Amino acid sequence: MRSHDLRRGRWTALAVVGLLLLTSTGDAAEEPGRFQRDVEPLLTALCVDCHGPEDAQGQLRLDFRSTALQGGFSGPAVVPGQPEASVLIERIKSEDPELRMPLDGEPLSAPQIAAIESWIRQGAVWPESASAGAPPEPHWAYVSPVRPTTPTVQQTDWVRNPIDAFVLARLEREELKPAAPASKEQLLRRVSLDLIGLPPTLAELDAFLRDSSEDAYEKVVDRLLASPHYGERWAQPWLDGARYADSNGFTNDRRRTIWPYRDWVVQAINDDMPFDQFTIEQLAGDLLPDATIEQRTATGLHRNTRYNDETGVDRDEGRWNALVDRVATTASVWLGTTLACAQCHNHKHDPFSQKDFYALLAFFEPTDYTKIGEGFETELIEPVLDPAPPEVQAKRRELLAAAEAIESQLDRQSPGDNGSDSDDVRDQLEARRQELRDEVDAISREYPTTLVLEDRPTEQPPTTELRIRGSYLAKGAAVQAATPAVLHPLPADAPLNRLTLARWIVAPENPLTARVIVNRDWAQFFGRGLVATEGDFGTRGAKPTHPELLDYLATEFIQLGWSRKSLHRQIVTSAAYRQSSLADSAKWKQDPENRLLARGPRFRLDAEVIRDTTLAISGLLSRQLGGPPVFPPQPELSALKDHGDFDWDESEGADRYRRALYIFWRRTALYPPLKNFDAPTRDTCTVGRQRSNTPLQSLTLLNDATAAEAAGGLVRRIVTEAPTADVAGRAAFAFRLCTARFPGEDELDAITATYERSLRLMQDDAESTARIANEHPHSGEPTEFAAWFLVAQSLLNLDETLSKE
Amino acid sequence: MSSPLVLLQDQTRRHFFRRTGLGIGTLALANLLQQEGKTGETSRPDDPLAARSTHFAPKIKNVIYLFMCGGPSQVDLLDPKPQLTARNQQPAPRSLLEGERFAFISGVPQLLGSPHAFSRHGESGLEVSSLLPHLGSIADEIAVIRSLHTEEFNHGPAQIYMNAGDARGGRPSMGSWLTYGLGSENRDLPGFVVLLSGNATPDAGPSCWGNGFLPASYQGVQLRPQGEPVLYLSSPEGVRPEGRRVTLDLIRQLNEQRLAATGDPEIAARIASYELAFRMQTSVPDLMNLADESEATQRMYGAELGATSFANNCLMARRLVERGVRFVQLYHRGWDHHGLDEGSDLLHSLPQMCAETDQASVALIRDLKDRGLLDSTLVVWGGEFGRTPMIENREKGANFLGRDHHPRAFSMWMAGGGIRQGITIGRTDELGYNVVEDPVHVHDLHATILHLMGVDHTQLTYRTQGRDFRLTDVAGHVVEKLLA
Repeated sequence: MRSHDLRRGRWTALAVVGLLLLTSTGDAAEEPGRFQRDVEPLLTALCVDCHGPEDAQGQLRLDFRSTALQGGFSGPAVVPGQPEASVLIERIKSEDPELRMPLDGEPLSAPQIAAIESWIRQGAVWPESASAGAPPEPHWAYVSPVRPTTPTVQQTDWVRNPIDAFVLARLEREELKPAAPASKEQLLRRVSLDLIGLPPTLAELDAFLRDSSEDAYEKVVDRLLASPHYGERWAQPWLDGARYADSNGFTNDRRRTIWPYRDWVVQAINDDMPFDQFTIEQLAGDLLPDATIEQRTATGLHRNTRYNDETGVDRDEGRWNALVDRVATTASVWLGTTLACAQCHNHKHDPFSQKDFYALLAFFEPTDYTKIGEGFETELIEPVLDPAPPEVQAKRRELLAAAEAIESQLDRQSPGDNGSDSDDVRDQLEARRQELRDEVDAISREYPTTLVLEDRPTEQPPTTELRIRGSYLAKGAAVQAATPAVLHPLPADAPLNRLTLARWIVAPENPLTARVIVNRDWAQFFGRGLVATEGDFGTRGAKPTHPELLDYLATEFIQLGWSRKSLHRQIVTSAAYRQSSLADSAKWKQDPENRLLARGPRFRLDAEVIRDTTLAISGLLSRQLGGPPVFPPQPELSALKDHGDFDWDESEGADRYRRALYIFWRRTALYPPLKNFDAPTRDTCTVGRQRSNTPLQSLTLLNDATAAEAAGGLVRRIVTEAPTADVAGRAAFAFRLCTARFPGEDELDAITATYERSLRLMQDDAESTARIANEHPHSGEPTEFAAWFLVAQSLLNLDETLSKE
Repeated sequence: MSSPLVLLQDQTRRHFFRRTGLGIGTLALANLLQQEGKTGETSRPDDPLAARSTHFAPKIKNVIYLFMCGGPSQVDLLDPKPQLTARNQQPAPRSLLEGERFAFISGVPQLLGSPHAFSRHGESGLEVSSLLPHLGSIADEIAVIRSLHTEEFNHGPAQIYMNAGDARGGRPSMGSWLTYGLGSENRDLPGFVVLLSGNATPDAGPSCWGNGFLPASYQGVQLRPQGEPVLYLSSPEGVRPEGRRVTLDLIRQLNEQRLAATGDPEIAARIASYELAFRMQTSVPDLMNLADESEATQRMYGAELGATSFANNCLMARRLVERGVRFVQLYHRGWDHHGLDEGSDLLHSLPQMCAETDQASVALIRDLKDRGLLDSTLVVWGGEFGRTPMIENREKGANFLGRDHHPRAFSMWMAGGGIRQGITIGRTDELGYNVVEDPVHVHDLHATILHLMGVDHTQLTYRTQGRDFRLTDVAGHVVEKLLA
């Protein structure tokens, strides 16, 4: 190995160089072998440990002429003919020990430096033969994808679309066979969960089983893609990345109103808004000509940053932290790049400098805020979009001012000070305040406000002061807005603003965006991305398992006009997706993660889907779309209730059973059933969730109030809707609601035997029976209800119910 | 098939596979497998995750961390400053104020000598405030660090920093890191338990014991003295243990059949989780029942049945440690003495806070010692930052004494296994403003606690967002002077 050769005998090499230099002839005409004699030994001994194949610090490699000429973060290391312009010379001659190379080593001697200078002045001739092997290729992710040719495969009849050819070619290379197609039940449940986040109804299931037409499945896919619940399901991973929440985070974690942004996301996905437009509107909708209310609402994406309103906080620092978060989030969501690393120093592994980070931040620098007051009274007022007509806006302001006046009147008046007269006044004031609040609420229901981005108008291109080691107080050089040097350039004369940045992100030549997005969506379907590290496409991220498939999908996505519905249609109609997830244990052991895709996906559902599925099975689910967040019941002593100045005002009626998407997302105390199933707090951007397995999950699904209500709901359906009233008929009906399939014989036996056992228990325990039956609305015989209740709890907790198969 | 491989803090096998080779904290697995060995299970020969040894032999097995929310005043409790008293009411030197940011102080504040006396105790001659008589009585058994410093000066961020080594949020807390690294000795209880005095959450809320980017399995679990001790612990209305067993038996039967049909090892883990959940439904109420403690013990702590006091929680902490819970954290609010009113006054509230905590903290140490648990347990007492040696001048002419937040120097004490006893580490300047000797950063504190637990803080890592994260970020040194 070359790298090992390079390392052998650093000191021997030095000694030899020293000897050779004594006989060096200075700046004579170029002589053959000079590089090998005078320069290469120095580079090898002193430089390539840190600037070579093992570790290209500062993105510089000195083991090839091309890379030396190209240079790293500090510029071209070698400029042929111009030693004075070569960073290499500058750094080996530097007086500053922080800059002088080799770092932590003895400085080069004068004759050594002279030899290198002379070699550069002579044109830096570097014979091919001197560098073994090929020069390093740029990292794959930073080179635009080229549409690959579809590979030829042997088992051609398996291939339904190009995705399959790529998958099968890999399987055949590994001498593996794809799994059998999934059963119709399994397939329908899988695709329903994937596209709308809900299991199929029995009617949908029966219709699909009856439909023997050629395109029965394709019709189902079209139905699901057209469902308004599609947008709800696909909003969820997007909102993780966008760190959408209904509270500010930090100490007080107060409520904020930004759910119109959440509804915008759902609507845009349902409309199949092309992803480039989807991007531009969220990053810079306000800068579009004649921006609509919807386009401005979309910019809420970057108002999802946390906000610390604790007294004593430095507001400017808070605003700065929001800017930093905007850069890190943009890089994670679109570029699959861990740019946050470059906040403090040049990225250790990827070609992003600290300057790149702050140059991107400069695009966000003008995002507006108004500072009022001084010292600890300072507040930041950032822009809020009020979509109401002007007279309604004025009315709302008037009402709020009146309520505030009463508020301060109440504050001045300590309760119980002056007997009952004052209490009466107090009561009146409180009543009036409530009236005013109700009026404001009524307006807000019709015209909800939402947080948006706006730029301060600036004459100059935005600049930002770099922060040394990322420390807010350590200001460094001013940096002008720019995109990272390693990626495609900005259009020459485009204004340096967020709109330009947004267009740059979705430019077809961007090597990252399309790949990152198709990969993330792929992971939603298969449980694992083609690049397993969904948020890191850098050199330390995972290598793609199917690089050509990834590039096919990325180029296809753009050719499809950035249509995610078209992309999803292609994925779910592939044979790869339609494989059965059942496999023998040998196959599991061989490929536990299913990297090779020799079977269908099988993994635990996400937190939200578990709730929604449970409610759907039990018949309780409210399918209402959009609107303000809801507050389903949670235990009295949950931290949500007793932390901070906040009221978890439990929702009533159907709002208790809304989809998880609409549950009030409180950052510091997330609704426990979501938290326990790995939903992120959304303090910051998350791409790719964890999937853990804990007893707290079991306790949640057995004992949570909603879980118990769902079991009651399922029993009501068992008793009233099962096609036959015998125990086996009811058991099969309930099992099918949960898993979409009929139970096998053993399974059915187990359920009916358990029901009989449960029934005997309840017959002997009148109190239990009464308590269970009275707790839930029911008709019919209480013993029967209570007996089925225990069984229903089992069925709602099966691994299969909680998994996508 | 239903191997108890899966502990409370277990993460899924597939999750492990995802991480392998990418800087996974290897201790976690090593301990899972050791635990498995201990209970007589054979580790699977086909398991690609072979057992690995821990970093080095631990000095302690447990940590009880008494978190004093609000920022207890070091110059009034653990770091006496005669010069500060001598220069009481003089303007603070300008040199201290230049370029400084304060939460509330503005202009040139006056120095404020402590209104409380200090006295020397034990052979070590440790000086502590007269407000802490019980602590004084064990002066020779504790180590005081007077040179802590942190990066944050607002409560929420500073509490998160003290727990997670970072204020930005989204990082795991120390308890989560240790649970991830070491697992739990008790299969029927969570490995990381949190208790709150009076059910008052710290300013930063449950983020203080959050799992951050680690799987949810490693989150701190809050135990409540009233109502349901753990969320969702009680079965639904009318479901008795026999009924619950009916439900669980069917879950198990059907899951086993599905395991056979699909081959997915994940199902075995799910089966184990349900069984553990069932055991928790019994073991946690047993744990919470303080009535089986002797009256003498209850009296020693100042505990009262049914209370939600710090004293009760200290007693509970001992019971948890006895049962093999490795990381117990108590939160006690009210140390934010700004001097705005009686409730934040150094003359009224500070003595009250000391009275609420001093006896029970010390009783905890004595009790652990009596039961032979102190050698294997570290008790840590401290807040998220200290307080300024200057009076806070927010309310001009107020009648109360208070101090502003101060991240540059503050004090903590420790007792228990692995540390030198009867010593003081670090020194602040004559006013108690800056550390002048042996500074101990929050990262150093974390590195030291991990070290005592047998963990090299540079090696306990987790790869996410493109890099290996650790509790101590890129810093932290073990405080060697503290080690026995």
